[in-house]
Amino acid sequence: MIAGKYYHLIAIWLVLAPGQTVVVPRTRTVVVAQTNTDLINRLETAATLIRDDKLVEAERQLTIILKSNANQPDALNLLGAVRAKQRRLDDAERLFSRAVTANSSLISARMNLVQVYLIRGKPDNAISELLEVLRLDPTNAEAFDKLHPLLLSQKRGDEFIKLIEQAKTSRAVSSSLLISLGDIYLQKRNAAKAEENFRLALDQQSDNADAILGLAQVAQLTGDRATASAYLDRAKKSVVNSAGTLHRFAIVAWEADRYEEANLALTQAIKLNPKDPTFYVALGNTWLKKPDLVEAEQAFRRALELQSDNPQAQMYLGYTLFLQGKYPEARQQLEKSLLKQPNVPQTFYYLGLISQEEGHDQSAIELFSRTLQLESSFADIHFALGRSYLTLKNYTRAQEELELAVKLKPDDPKAHYQLAVLYARLKDPQRSQQHMQIMQRLEEAAKSPKKPTP
Amino acid sequence: MKQGKLIGLLVLALLTSVTRMASQARSTPSAATVTFEDITKKSGITWIHNNAQSAARHLPETVGGGCAFVDYDNDGWLDIFFVNSGTSDFFTPATPLRNALYRNNRDGTFTDVTVQAGVTNDSFGMGVAVADYDGDGFQDLYVTSYGRNTLYKNTGKGAFVDVTNKAGVGAPGWSTCAVWVDFDNDGKLDLFVSSFVYYDKTLNVLCADEQGRRYYCIPRHYKPSPSRLFRNNGNGTFTDVSADAGIAAFPGKSFGAVATDINNDGWMDLFVANDTMPNFLFVNQAGKKFEEVGLAAGVAFSQAGKPRSGMGVDAADYDGDGWQDLFVANIDYEFFSLYHNNKDVTFTDEPREIAAATQLLSGWGVRFFDYDNDSDPDLLLVNGHPDDFVEMHNARVKYKEPMVMFLNTGRHFKNVTESSGAVFTKDFSGRGLATGDFDNDGDLDLLVSNNREAPLLLRNDGGNRNNWLGLQLVATKSNPSAVGASIRWEAGILKGTRLKTAGGSYLSSHDPREILGVGSALKVTALEIRWPSGQVDRLNNLPVNRYVTLIEGKGPAAQK
Repeated sequence: MIAGKYYHLIAIWLVLAPGQTVVVPRTRTVVVAQTNTDLINRLETAATLIRDDKLVEAERQLTIILKSNANQPDALNLLGAVRAKQRRLDDAERLFSRAVTANSSLISARMNLVQVYLIRGKPDNAISELLEVLRLDPTNAEAFDKLHPLLLSQKRGDEFIKLIEQAKTSRAVSSSLLISLGDIYLQKRNAAKAEENFRLALDQQSDNADAILGLAQVAQLTGDRATASAYLDRAKKSVVNSAGTLHRFAIVAWEADRYEEANLALTQAIKLNPKDPTFYVALGNTWLKKPDLVEAEQAFRRALELQSDNPQAQMYLGYTLFLQGKYPEARQQLEKSLLKQPNVPQTFYYLGLISQEEGHDQSAIELFSRTLQLESSFADIHFALGRSYLTLKNYTRAQEELELAVKLKPDDPKAHYQLAVLYARLKDPQRSQQHMQIMQRLEEAAKSPKKPTP
Repeated sequence: MKQGKLIGLLVLALLTSVTRMASQARSTPSAATVTFEDITKKSGITWIHNNAQSAARHLPETVGGGCAFVDYDNDGWLDIFFVNSGTSDFFTPATPLRNALYRNNRDGTFTDVTVQAGVTNDSFGMGVAVADYDGDGFQDLYVTSYGRNTLYKNTGKGAFVDVTNKAGVGAPGWSTCAVWVDFDNDGKLDLFVSSFVYYDKTLNVLCADEQGRRYYCIPRHYKPSPSRLFRNNGNGTFTDVSADAGIAAFPGKSFGAVATDINNDGWMDLFVANDTMPNFLFVNQAGKKFEEVGLAAGVAFSQAGKPRSGMGVDAADYDGDGWQDLFVANIDYEFFSLYHNNKDVTFTDEPREIAAATQLLSGWGVRFFDYDNDSDPDLLLVNGHPDDFVEMHNARVKYKEPMVMFLNTGRHFKNVTESSGAVFTKDFSGRGLATGDFDNDGDLDLLVSNNREAPLLLRNDGGNRNNWLGLQLVATKSNPSAVGASIRWEAGILKGTRLKTAGGSYLSSHDPREILGVGSALKVTALEIRWPSGQVDRLNNLPVNRYVTLIEGKGPAAQK
């Protein structure tokens, strides 16, 4: 092992295809022996030549080294970089691997290998290398930065948690990592741990909008709407011009029933990043809530222009069209969505609603039953089933389903209404009236006047 | 359509009939070729509705007024009546406002005869219901108002006299639609009068936007009032039987009302649209009283259990299954309702194609009518938003809106608005709608009353390319309007049925005659009239493309 002197190598850019540029990041250090001046000089020369894109000359220098020592790790690493710049990724991977075999502590070679793995679509190999880098150098910030989105993208949240929690004991962890950690705890519905990490992030940066929004989400998770709303107000003052943060703000605002603010945030996010179909899908949902079905339809269609097979956009477009009574195209979009996401209960539910509106209640019942198979706690299904059974005059089944619907969702006026109809038909005016009264009470409670009240 | 063109068109119909008969169970002419021509200016109609609009935005200003086709002089040609606003507790016009009666000159033009006919009126009018309530052979007018309603008895001498007080049908308050119907099958026309909310100028609620502009309040802010039912005593007077009949027990915010027989029991029922309240379906209990069954029938609320803003209504057997279906025009974003009759006093709301077309519209006048004479009822909707400031707070909804026409395709409706004439590309503050064959050419023309603007007289051009038979039903034992008569006809392979309903649409009154579309058939092979009295008249092999007068129990009288 050559030690004592550090060579900071240039960033290596690989152009894989026209318009697609991938960065092989700076190799961190090349450790060479001070005792071998010739070797050091050649390595420095090679590194300079690579930086200057003089790859043939660089290779000549490295070949001289490798002729005398075929497993010289630094030379192998640099030659791997040459191959990478030549887009010979197989060779590059092989050379970086040999460098690592020759010197398992050679972090720069491991980081280069990570980059090649990422370019070649081998995220698990990249994760393994990054974990090894962090084992060797727990303070390696670049490895951290690369590892956490990788772990998240591979749904290896537990490993991420372990990694960051360990890191927290030995070094300062960036606010972005803490927020990511908080997000994972949120996903795991661990409100306490999520809050802890969002607060740590806020300790670093008191106006970090993502951290504030994270705390709002914690409050929403615990059902504390007032606190959530307060955090949302605080976040409003700090939301920067970041499309991602605006999207996050919109999600939190949506959950707080603040659809207008969600709508505005998404509109702003789209101005900053007009190419993300996810933003349009979210925006469409805010229009659905207003409700402005025309705008919603436009948003979902825009999402599909950007990603023609986006199943979420197809599903919501189908639903929007259904709400507008445009049943044939609604059905078409929902069926397209099913091709890509065949097990989404909502899609079957919407298809069932279309069948119901078209007077095909038997088909509707089959679709609703399919929904239930996929999501047994889907309360609206029981209402929908009850309604179809009511239409088919199967009053026993209608009663079962509607009673179940109100049991699961006692604040849903629709089910109470259908029960009122059912009992009226069963000549039970008293129970009919009871449900009508409940329905009216719920309607009154939920009523938010469209116009200013007098 | 001028009658001169008819012969040529009949030849055309004959030539094409073989092909049609072979390929189609129903004769369906190219509906795209049936259009409506706006002939208002040519007709000489110059009257314009004045809605008395004020800065205070009193609600009665925005809901009127109605219109009617009425042959007031019994010359066999439909005349026209419009209802105007007038003096009220919140409005004193600078110059007196008046209704308008136009006499048909039989050449496509009309002459204003309002003053000589004595129907000017200065009440704050809403709608009009036409019928020969006293059976003297002349059509009378009942004008509803915000204030006091007026019953105009036709003297038979080209004029009317106000007999409201004697008749006892003044019904103070705020009346909207009125329906002449013989609810107890005693052969006399009774009177149902829809009531809207309790209102006077002191009750006007302040509804204003952020700039302080007042707009018309949603009726939710006002208390409902009960509708009225008057039984005809047969001596020129009426008795208010609202309480005994079970009507008064249901205060509503009622606009449109239609009399029809939803359970085929021979007793006329009443379907009443309410604004921001559940609709009422009053089922007639053998003429003794009415049972309100809207909830159980599934016509009271939306499927989500929300009361909608019901305004115009109509009833017809649109799918030919022998049972009366119902229609309600609601406000924007609520969707209009097409209630299909399940034959057991329940209905299923199946708006389908109509839903997509009416999502942003607010409907008032509505009418099932066979505009192309293919025997099945098509559907016309007259629209307009009640809030003249709506565009300031809703970018999608307009104050003035287009009419929408649907062609009946058997079980469903197809939107044919774009091909129905240039007038369908324009926007109006539509309210009333009446259908009638004012030029006696065998197809149904349209009369539309607009709020605060000129009305429309729209001539049907092309509807009579299909053959037809016009019926003037003259009762001898049944009620004079033959309301409740069931008509069945066969013409070649085509079979049609129609119940003579009453009321419907919004604040308006239609041609009392029935035009039976027979497609390309050259004669009506069988015709059956089941009169409300129980009398059944059957006739065979009637020639087409003419009006016939059928007298109850006696058959054809004279050919017009």
